[in-house]
Amino acid sequence: MIVPDPVLRNRCAIVGAGNSRLGQVPGVSSLDLLAEAIGNALDDAGLQLRDIDGLITRGPDDAYCHHQQMGERLGLNARFSTSLDNGGASQILSVALAVMAINAGLASTVVCGYGRNAWSRTHSSAAARVKNQTRPDDQHNQEFGPEYGYFGAVAAHAFGAQRHMHEFGTTREDFAAIATAFRDHATRNPAAQMQKPLSREDYFNAREIVSPFGLYDCSLRSDGAGAVIVTSADRARDLKSRPVLIRGFGSHNNLTGWFSGDNMIRTAAIQSGDAAYRMAGIAPAEVDTVQLYDCFTYMVLVQLEDYGFCKKGEGGAFVRSGALRLGGRLPANTSGGQLSEAHVEGMLQIVEGARQLRREYPKERQVADAEIALISGHGGNQVCHSTLILQRA
Amino acid sequence: MTDSPPEKPLPRASAESLPYWEGAKQHRLLMQHCRACGQFWFPPSARCHHCLSTDFTWDEVSGEGRIYSFVVYHRLYHPGFERDLPYVVAIVELREGPRLLTNIVGVHWKDMRCDLPVKAVFDDDPRGVTIPKFAA
Repeated sequence: MIVPDPVLRNRCAIVGAGNSRLGQVPGVSSLDLLAEAIGNALDDAGLQLRDIDGLITRGPDDAYCHHQQMGERLGLNARFSTSLDNGGASQILSVALAVMAINAGLASTVVCGYGRNAWSRTHSSAAARVKNQTRPDDQHNQEFGPEYGYFGAVAAHAFGAQRHMHEFGTTREDFAAIATAFRDHATRNPAAQMQKPLSREDYFNAREIVSPFGLYDCSLRSDGAGAVIVTSADRARDLKSRPVLIRGFGSHNNLTGWFSGDNMIRTAAIQSGDAAYRMAGIAPAEVDTVQLYDCFTYMVLVQLEDYGFCKKGEGGAFVRSGALRLGGRLPANTSGGQLSEAHVEGMLQIVEGARQLRREYPKERQVADAEIALISGHGGNQVCHSTLILQRA
Repeated sequence: MTDSPPEKPLPRASAESLPYWEGAKQHRLLMQHCRACGQFWFPPSARCHHCLSTDFTWDEVSGEGRIYSFVVYHRLYHPGFERDLPYVVAIVELREGPRLLTNIVGVHWKDMRCDLPVKAVFDDDPRGVTIPKFAA
């Protein structure tokens, strides 16, 4: 069996984290949102652009050679740079690739970032609101989909939720526990897009979208960007902010597709998590907080099972126990997540994981004594997955 | 003069999928059947999804299967489906193995369930295309 090499464990660190304005930021391009986040991450690290020699990015899926467009805007030549294409799994992969590039001697200090003006794109006209699409038409299936009225990521994930409910008795009551916990976290985060508390009754009274998903099972459309700066653990010691060590990472993609086999109810988080746990040398019980890719409530539940925080089929009981709430057994998506803070394709999950481990939040937002955070990324036609395990330095 | 209601999108066949749509027009569900490994595959492509062989025939499948999963659209994403709301989109697993995306007809959306046995039916669109669907 091939196992991830623990030689990379704790060799690099996140030394700066930043986000742009989040939510509705009309008139700002995805590139400018990312530039804003990168500027904030640099300030956080006490670094200048001239200290950066690596850039790994992703932007809206219709942007060709995104990292070049970004570098041009930053006035930056890089020793190592590329754009990734694993959907929402790309952002953790950018951090993993930065660690590999640094350890290969190809770069010393790498900016990883993602930005997208998704709210603006889906609210530019009445027709755009109906379509709710962030990619141009020609990137969508032309047959075996549209003729049946199959559109959008909501339905794709709702298929998984439905099958999980059928096989394991999961209910919308379980999904409600996730949506309401993350909203509670968002109300403690002044930057979050959603500030109004969400009750169980609000969840069940909301309109259905593509059932079994209603409005509050779905993540937000957000303008926004996030960025982190990765460098060696040695270099990290001399910088302004307390570094957060990159203890492990993993990746797995069920490329056969979401509709194939059991992929929608036993996700690639199983193998990706296993790889990350092995590199990190830890077990799920040692994780203090998780920041999971919550494009839909169901994806949180299935990942909790697949990462081994509970048994397969027991995700419902786990979330209903209150475990995910700040103060609970496994505080999750403590900024509000993509369901309630802002949907920036997993980039803000990394930012939040790093911030929790620095323990700089006021008490009501802070995971007490947080030492280890597990962060997940999911996307790429629903089957690409990546895992990041961070440790307080 | 009244505006005609917006139409549903029609599938745009590729070179590989053309025989599938030609078969549907004759109310036959055809799929690529590999002579090398004996398996069916879908969606259509030039090589077998299981063994990469290019040696295949287009064979009629039973059209019998079960609903692996389904969703119910309550929200409109395309004006062509306004009169259908709420409508069901399902993944059907055929007896022969392949799974395909489809609509279920003749079952109220509230009566839908996973693993329901279904059989192919053919919906002739007046625009000259036949769309395979499934009925309980």
